[in-house]
Amino acid sequence: MNKLLPTIGIEVHCELKTKNKVFSNSLNVYGEIANTNINEIDLGYPGTLPTLNKDVIDVGIKTALLLNCKVNKSMYFDRKNYFYPDNPKNYQITQKSTPIGYDGFVEIDLGDKLKKIYIEEMHIEEDTCKSIHENGKTLLDFNRAGVPLIEIVTKPVIDNDNEAVLYVEKLREILLYGGISDVKIEEGSLRCDVNISLRREDCNVLGTKVEIKNIGSISAIKEAILFEIERQEKLINNSVVIVAETRKFDESIRETVSMRLKETNNDYRYFPEPDIPRLLIEDSYIEEIKKTLPILPSELRIKYKELGINDITINALISNMELNKYLLDLISMGTNAIIGANIITGDLLAYLNKNGISIKDTNITIDNLKCLVDKLESNEISSKIGKIILSNMFESSDSVDLIMEKNDLKLISDENELLNIIKPMINDEIKIEYSKNNEKTIKYLIGEIMKVTKGKANPVVVNDLLSKELSK
Amino acid sequence: MTNYLDLSLIEINNKLKNREIKPIDLVMECFSKIENNEDLNCFITLNKEEAIKKALELENKEVDNILFAIPIAIKDNIITKGLKTTCGSNMLNNFIPTYDAYVINKINNCNMIVIGKTNMDEFAMGSSNQTSYFGCVLNAWNKSKVSGGSSGGSAVSVSSRIVPFALGSDTGGSIRQPSAFNGIVGLKPTYGRVSRYGLVSFASSLDQIGPMSRNVLENSMLLNCIVGKDNNDLTSCEKDSEDFSRLIGEDIKGIKIAIPNFYVNDNINEDIKSNFNNVVNILKNKGVNVDYVDIDYIEYSVPLYQIIALAEASSNLARFDGIRYGYCTDKKINNADELYKYNRGEGFGEEVKRRIMIGSYVLSGDNVQEYYYKALSIRKIISDGFSNLFKNYDYIIGPTTTTLPYNIGEGQNDAVKSFFDDLLTIPVNMAGLPAMSLPIGINNNLPIGMQIICNKFEEAKIYKLASFIEKELNLNLDPRGDLNE
Repeated sequence: MNKLLPTIGIEVHCELKTKNKVFSNSLNVYGEIANTNINEIDLGYPGTLPTLNKDVIDVGIKTALLLNCKVNKSMYFDRKNYFYPDNPKNYQITQKSTPIGYDGFVEIDLGDKLKKIYIEEMHIEEDTCKSIHENGKTLLDFNRAGVPLIEIVTKPVIDNDNEAVLYVEKLREILLYGGISDVKIEEGSLRCDVNISLRREDCNVLGTKVEIKNIGSISAIKEAILFEIERQEKLINNSVVIVAETRKFDESIRETVSMRLKETNNDYRYFPEPDIPRLLIEDSYIEEIKKTLPILPSELRIKYKELGINDITINALISNMELNKYLLDLISMGTNAIIGANIITGDLLAYLNKNGISIKDTNITIDNLKCLVDKLESNEISSKIGKIILSNMFESSDSVDLIMEKNDLKLISDENELLNIIKPMINDEIKIEYSKNNEKTIKYLIGEIMKVTKGKANPVVVNDLLSKELSK
Repeated sequence: MTNYLDLSLIEINNKLKNREIKPIDLVMECFSKIENNEDLNCFITLNKEEAIKKALELENKEVDNILFAIPIAIKDNIITKGLKTTCGSNMLNNFIPTYDAYVINKINNCNMIVIGKTNMDEFAMGSSNQTSYFGCVLNAWNKSKVSGGSSGGSAVSVSSRIVPFALGSDTGGSIRQPSAFNGIVGLKPTYGRVSRYGLVSFASSLDQIGPMSRNVLENSMLLNCIVGKDNNDLTSCEKDSEDFSRLIGEDIKGIKIAIPNFYVNDNINEDIKSNFNNVVNILKNKGVNVDYVDIDYIEYSVPLYQIIALAEASSNLARFDGIRYGYCTDKKINNADELYKYNRGEGFGEEVKRRIMIGSYVLSGDNVQEYYYKALSIRKIISDGFSNLFKNYDYIIGPTTTTLPYNIGEGQNDAVKSFFDDLLTIPVNMAGLPAMSLPIGINNNLPIGMQIICNKFEEAKIYKLASFIEKELNLNLDPRGDLNE
């Protein structure tokens, strides 16, 4: 009997990071007191009409471009009609016929090759309100009602759990770096539905599709897919017919469980939203948005490699978008990239992690950081002093120079002062050692001088003076 | 009782300016007239306390515009902050809104005084005001006859001279048909001319708020007040401000008028036709060119309306589930499905439920292609047909209704009848055009109206022709007869 092959498609819902909601001017913020960011539009009050937040269209076009999609230049909205308590108007405004983007792709790295995961379409829609079930009652929080969402739908081109995870991770990275969304799965700003079917290797027709709704984490995506493939394999091998159904991944038993059969699904009675006129997008408008596209991680990796930054540091930078921004700023100011990257992913990151804070919670400024890197590059300070200065920079808003002065960290570069320390160390014995092994002797002496000066001797000047004195 | 409200708007305005009368005099007169006409059932909710308060506030203010301190009645599907807004339905019998409709802000800016909310067919679904949860409205000319609808309360409150003005809404004829039945002037403006924000939607692509008044000039003055681009309604249009009365009095000689053959077909009552033909003859004698024309598919307007309006309505009325506002059943509810079933089953009346079911059906599954999208494409053809006519003609005219006001109770068991009451008004909504119903005769003490239709945003032209005809006919349109006799 020939093998069973899975075919997977993924739908991702992502909340957009706009200031306001999509069809009203309520604020779009997470984690506020329930039912405080609402108005009569969000509540679906009689007589209210939707407006359209231009920022959502702009972010939508930006997302389409980032995902290599074509932009729909003539689009409208549709109503999806269904009754549910979290759906204030009992219809959702979405885009069924004219999604803002279509025919795109996201490229994933399979190690030995790159694979394009094709995007069928991506459209704008409004989020529902949040239901909280408590003691047999349902409470509704309308703060989320009307938050802008983009739904991104792949073609059924994903072959296994590994590709699925790589795709979602890559998509998250793009949406985060594109400034599209927070992509926090735990806060619900990114939600995943996975469609899986199995077919025999020699069969070209796709098998019956099962949908797994609202998977809560990337690791759960992998688990859910593996579980579902195994479940369907068993059924098929026992000649049980797979039914089209919607399932969910139960985190407590780590299995997918049935929610409802597809046959009983709603008939959504889609029709064009009459309250929002058709929207025409001009080419020049799309071109303007193209100019605002940020550098994505895949391009960043190439750029950093060219600057000589090592792979471990690159990964550390990419995985922390905020710190990465600081390095990009340093580079744009003409600062040494390698030293900058090492400081940022080294002592700086360690300090932030240890204290569980963000760089914005410290007193570090980009100008101070640049000054520190410049001084290290020109050897004006040693790396040991550099560490001390950095640790001061977290707490103090003083300039680097002021920090050095206050903490008596200025390097001793005065030749006479240094000669006073060096000269007593030079004797015939040392000179003999020096003639045997130049480097080792100089290193030893510098170590001794640093001990005396508590690391404040300018190593360049000391080196020069030592060479001169020893060759006398 | 005083009778200041029987004076023309200009006379009232002068008396207010001269301090001969105060705003409170007008308000008190209104409420005593409401009491005397309680049997007409025009109002669902009165705004007495607030109206008196407002009138007293206005005493110290400058009379700065023609509508200052003028009482107005508001159809009960227009949202009024703090004032119960029922849409003529048990569903919203307890609904007190938290905001004002755009048009309410507009009339407040002119310092008009809202007297109350008028009776209407439930959710504006009907053309005889018999589907209202609050009972039907009686025709002021003959109390055994219907008022027409759905803006029946608004029409009768004006025709019975309780208020000089009312706001109505028109989805398929709901301003024009009751205006014709009651001998008043009612205008459905161009779609997009008046913001729909705060008008409880029936059919979003057809609904429009409009002024209802005793005569043509005053109608234009109320339109002046309520128009404007509203950023809260994406379908409202940006237009330069204009005085809609500016063309009144201009010569009409040489204007070109088209009469669609459909508007004088055999289904039209003979008395209506003869009154209409009388007007046509007057116009011809004044040097107006009149042609009879055809508009493709116009005869399908009623089925188109049933598909498009009801599809939109089925979705617009989905929000009424009793969760956030509105009717909530006393029955014990075990799940969400039961909640919808009981709240909606008990909250809505029969006609509304029938229309929601038809609307849901035409959008369901493959029907959306077979009915809804096909209807949209035919709507486009009708709309283009009107546009083409306006390349050669200034006006399209015809009767407003096919029948005279009929007996209360008649046609209630005929689900299709109310749609055919709107046979001649629906095409205008389909094309988004402005149209007025103007009284042109009284037959056996029942009024007859005609429609004047213009191209989009040409309301000023409508007022010009309407005013001319009004002057020529010089009818006494007070149902109480000549009070001086």
